[in-house]
Amino acid sequence: MVYQSPTGARDLLPLDVVQKRWIEERLQQVFHRWGYHRIITSTLERLDTLMAGGAIARSTVLQIQEADDDLGLRPELTASIARAAVTRMAGATFPLRLYYNANVFRRSHVNSPSGQQEYYQAGVELLGMGGTLADAEVLLLVVDCLASMGLQGASLLLGEAGLTRSLLSVFPEAIRENVRRAIAQLDRIALETLPLSAEVRDRALFLFELRGKPADVLQKVASLDLNAEQQTAVANLKSLVDVLEQQLASSNEPMFVPTVTLDLSLIQTINYYTGLVFEVVAPSSSGLAVVATGGRYDQLLGLYHPQGQSYPGIGFALQIEPLHQVLLDTGRLPQQTPVSDWLVVAESEQAYGAAIAYARTLRSAPHPVRVELDLGRRSPVEIQDYAQHRRIARIAWVKAAGDVVIESVNSP
Amino acid sequence: MLTVALPKGSLLKDSIRLFQSVGLDFSALLEPGNRLLQITDPTQTAKALLVRNSDVPVYVEYGQAQLGVVGYDVLREKTPQVAQLLDLGFGQCRLSVAVKQTSPYRTALELPLYGRVASKFVQCAREYFESLDLPVEIVPLYGSVELGPITGMSEAIVDLVATGTTLRENGLIETDVLFESTARLIAHPLSYRLNADQLTNWVEQLQAQVQLQAKG
Repeated sequence: MVYQSPTGARDLLPLDVVQKRWIEERLQQVFHRWGYHRIITSTLERLDTLMAGGAIARSTVLQIQEADDDLGLRPELTASIARAAVTRMAGATFPLRLYYNANVFRRSHVNSPSGQQEYYQAGVELLGMGGTLADAEVLLLVVDCLASMGLQGASLLLGEAGLTRSLLSVFPEAIRENVRRAIAQLDRIALETLPLSAEVRDRALFLFELRGKPADVLQKVASLDLNAEQQTAVANLKSLVDVLEQQLASSNEPMFVPTVTLDLSLIQTINYYTGLVFEVVAPSSSGLAVVATGGRYDQLLGLYHPQGQSYPGIGFALQIEPLHQVLLDTGRLPQQTPVSDWLVVAESEQAYGAAIAYARTLRSAPHPVRVELDLGRRSPVEIQDYAQHRRIARIAWVKAAGDVVIESVNSP
Repeated sequence: MLTVALPKGSLLKDSIRLFQSVGLDFSALLEPGNRLLQITDPTQTAKALLVRNSDVPVYVEYGQAQLGVVGYDVLREKTPQVAQLLDLGFGQCRLSVAVKQTSPYRTALELPLYGRVASKFVQCAREYFESLDLPVEIVPLYGSVELGPITGMSEAIVDLVATGTTLRENGLIETDVLFESTARLIAHPLSYRLNADQLTNWVEQLQAQVQLQAKG
């Protein structure tokens, strides 16, 4: 019988792994440079932990039946990190700067063409402190991540979930959810056909169109009759955009700076975001791809705190698979697995000990060296062919007495 | 370059006329003997893809086309993740239940329990009969759905009705309307949000034309 992998599962072969590690190592270096520490949480969580934030539907979680617990494979990391931060790290000094690099699982929808169920994400969570600087840090951090991978032509799509929610509160409660859904799904026709008075419909269409250059959008919002809270939110958003654009304009690497679009219709139908929300979109040969999503969630930690005390939090997740796709097109990813520097060959059975010892000596060199041992049963010509094929730089022929003849096969 | 997915068949002429009105001429697709599936307009501003009606939202959802014209019926059946921007007014039709003229049924509710309903619109039909709480078997067909009741395979069909001529000529009568449909302008959501290829500008121009025609 043939053992097949489950539907939606993927094996990563050595070259895939080399490319994935290329991405992850660059991201990790950026996270370290910004003072973030890696956290590893459990792949398995209780279902209620995963779903507490209200953004995860039970149907998307791959569930595992245990005697007493309903468990699921994590579909994202933020819930797990929020849980760990408020319970295990109680008493820690804020802010907490955490990053992760992990696999996540989502049940593929019936209609999903890929059927993929396991994905990889790398991301950060900045917990315990809010404010413009925290928002700016996370945005500039994600921009740094793009630059570290040499990703050009990306766009940064910004929204403000709290402000948008507040702007939606003018709609009668009975139809507010419909308006919200129509705006979230960019369904303009639904807005036009909902039973709304002309004035309310104009307001809904105004919100629907609130996107473009940040300065223009902010000016448009400011033209609305805003309450004090909304005015503060707009002012905060303006200072965030100012800091961001000023930093991006003075970047040393202007080719990697994303264009910024402010889109106040950028809301998900359900989520736990309370403030800034953002997506990073990158061009690939098969179209535009969302490579990162993030946002501020100032109520989420309270859901996990034993006394319900909440702390501000903001973070993002980079989606490794679409990033991998986008970077493949740029030709920046390694195109082959690393080659061995040495092939050590025992010329006879009596030379086994000397060959193993010689390989050990080579491996102990101060800079990392890849040394393969020939496993015998091949003629010298076959060994040379093998070395040629694998692009191994040198063959060390070891004799029983310990003499070594070095043959250069491929110039390194 | 801006790419537009246009549907083969009955919506094509009106779609091409609409884009002509904003200066994008894809009328080469209408020339008899045209076999090209992808053309660029004479001003080299935009491309058009000629695809099946039901494939329009696929190209738009995946972003190979930033804009598309498609019937509302397809959007209801496939529920693609696309921005639905304009009701274009043309391509009026309705998705209806029809039965044999000689059958005893005059509304969908009278259909027998576990009866059979043939349709190209499997999702819409299923939702509709579920909303009636009437358990029926939906038989998927890809064309000539009218043969379902004629051959006796099914008691009813769910299909698009424009003038009703096809139904009449095949001895069928319409009993219930699921929904009315017209052609819609759809867009790739990310491209629309990011205003890729000046998408917003094109949409505004198309909107102005549609409003003009609605008045005229």
